[in-house]
Amino acid sequence: MILLKFCWILIVVNALTIGGGFVMLPMLHKEFVEKYHWLTNQEFIDAIAIGQVTPGPLTVMNAFMGYKIYGLLGAVMAMISSYLPCIIIITLVAKYYYTYRESAIVNSSFKGIKPAVIGLLAAVSISLGKAYLVDFSTFGIAIVSFSVIAFTKIDPTFVIIGAGIAGALLY
Amino acid sequence: MLTFFERELVEKHKWLTHDEYIESVAIGQMTPGPPIVNTGICIGYKLRKIKGALTTVVGQAFTGTVLAILLAIFYIKTKGNVLLISIMKGVGAAVVGLLLSIIYKMASKTIKDYKTALFALSAFFALAVFKLNPIGLILASGIFGLIVYGRRTR
Repeated sequence: MILLKFCWILIVVNALTIGGGFVMLPMLHKEFVEKYHWLTNQEFIDAIAIGQVTPGPLTVMNAFMGYKIYGLLGAVMAMISSYLPCIIIITLVAKYYYTYRESAIVNSSFKGIKPAVIGLLAAVSISLGKAYLVDFSTFGIAIVSFSVIAFTKIDPTFVIIGAGIAGALLY
Repeated sequence: MLTFFERELVEKHKWLTHDEYIESVAIGQMTPGPPIVNTGICIGYKLRKIKGALTTVVGQAFTGTVLAILLAIFYIKTKGNVLLISIMKGVGAAVVGLLLSIIYKMASKTIKDYKTALFALSAFFALAVFKLNPIGLILASGIFGLIVYGRRTR
């Protein structure tokens, strides 16, 4: 039952990830951490880090969470459920591209969703920040990583690895 | 990743024309689902229909998934290890910084007038203060988008 529910959540979340890969985070956090308590805040944030440092899209973090929740089967099912809605949507859109592109319903609803997901992501980041930024050094690492990723072209993967090294040295 | 796709697929192997590539990127960005995933599937689909789409998925997800599973095994086994806890403390703080920078980048691209700002702020408060469900909030903001922008695009 847990596995079915887990897969269903991933299917819904991936079908609603509009405006960037990170948009899935607020939904996943609500369902997996707050509602069903399958993961702690800490495990969730570690999953994001793993999704970021592994090759491929952020979606890979779902395999990590799937493994944590339901073992190997959970990891494999997580990836299938994450990709399934995308495959269906793309094969349909590729066929009816021009109708889709001109569709007033799609365009105007997306215009509402795109700014809204930024607000959602901000709310989740604050609650994760509250759980994670507990002292001077963690604050410092967060501010440095924000500035480096936002204002330089350095790959976030290196920033995360660097922060891991900093963590090992500091604590 | 997208510039890498372009160099490999368009310039080196000439499997796609530049226009087809641009169209795939656009489709990836305007369809539900993570954009990189969707762009990849779209390119696969253009090349070999559904077989191509499935092959792309396997190619794109395989290495990362295997690595994520190995890391998960490692993560569960070493739980409580002092060194790992301190590494993850630094990593977690960096992820918070990463999220903030993503928000900053998305906001500077998307939030342009008072309407878009209002959408973002209401979603923020609905989740942060009223603890509403993000899935419901995304659907609701789509409906509000239809109401606000729907009439003018027609």
